[in-house]
Amino acid sequence: MRFQAKRCGVQFNPPSIVLIYEHTETKKVRKRIIPVRNFSKYSDYSMAAERLKNHPRHRDYLEAVSQNQLEKLHIILRDHMQGRSLEQSLSSFHLDPEENLNKLDDEELARKKGRMDELFEKNRRRKDDPDFVYDFEVDFNKTTQEKCSWDEESDDGF
Amino acid sequence: MKAVTKGDKREEMAGDAGSIPELDQKKYDADEQVKIICLGDSAVGKSKLMERFLMDEYRPQQLSTYALTLYKHTATVGNKTVVVDFWDTAGQERFQNMHPSYYHKAHACIMVFDVQRKITYKNLANWYKELREYRPEIPCCVVANKIDADLKVTQRSFNFGKKQGLPFYFVSAADGTNVVKMFREMIKRAVDYKQNPSDFMDEVMQELENFDLEKKEDNSEADEDGLKAESPELD
Repeated sequence: MRFQAKRCGVQFNPPSIVLIYEHTETKKVRKRIIPVRNFSKYSDYSMAAERLKNHPRHRDYLEAVSQNQLEKLHIILRDHMQGRSLEQSLSSFHLDPEENLNKLDDEELARKKGRMDELFEKNRRRKDDPDFVYDFEVDFNKTTQEKCSWDEESDDGF
Repeated sequence: MKAVTKGDKREEMAGDAGSIPELDQKKYDADEQVKIICLGDSAVGKSKLMERFLMDEYRPQQLSTYALTLYKHTATVGNKTVVVDFWDTAGQERFQNMHPSYYHKAHACIMVFDVQRKITYKNLANWYKELREYRPEIPCCVVANKIDADLKVTQRSFNFGKKQGLPFYFVSAADGTNVVKMFREMIKRAVDYKQNPSDFMDEVMQELENFDLEKKEDNSEADEDGLKAESPELD
């Protein structure tokens, strides 16, 4: 890897991805501003992110930046084009355990699910992992159980 | 199954079972077929659980017109081969109420919540109430998913469903804990339920449901899709 990405962000005007990276050999830290072209408030953020990730002029610099992060930056750009404030935009990625996700539309829900997937992927045990057991079981009945506070305001059925 | 126009949808749902084989629910009367439904809030991990259980067999069939995903599975129970259809919602949680045909002829129900989000646990009461309106008798269980996020939750007891005697499982779709155990037990209970011919009440309920279903379908279609304008015969 010739370039080590340090930080990545967006610039609204003109719409661009801003990358702070270090040159692996010279150790020099530089800033690269990558204009995001042909991207409107109606565009598909995931395709745009993929296009950028594979762009012949930029892909070497973006090697250490994940597709997910590029998608997130494109969503923030698009939110801005749609008139959302940066604050609103950023909070849409935030997971609030109290929020009723049943009320969200597809895309809003995708943001939350994307966020949840980070933990899922981190804890995921895959079929080709050496310690994978298909019918892995743990008996939790033996552990001492304390009452769950979620049951406290006891309504029907609880 | 693609591009079914709204007009077609109503006709097919109303009577002609042959034209959408996926939704021909008569097959669930056959001995070797069971239907298991999944209930629970958005993003509690219902599809992820299916995926973990089915692994290579995982071939979801999306019926986007119905906000529905079906998964087929072949299981061996005792010495019998059983074909299991799992019904999962594809976002219909949003409408608060499931379409009645979702419950129709189901033999078991898996209710899932996310141990990281209390609201999904509290909402179990709503899901359960709706389930029992349509299927008063079928076996049901409560599944606490995402225990990998914080194993300490497994030291707590969650009392929802205890009164009704619903089995409870701590599971993780990510690391696989108890997922296969839960599905195998529920398949067994679905088959047992189906083979129990003494359950006369259920048959009566089914007749009532059939009757109810047709009426309700017409109404809900009209409301959701604005079909009234397109199909004057509904008025």
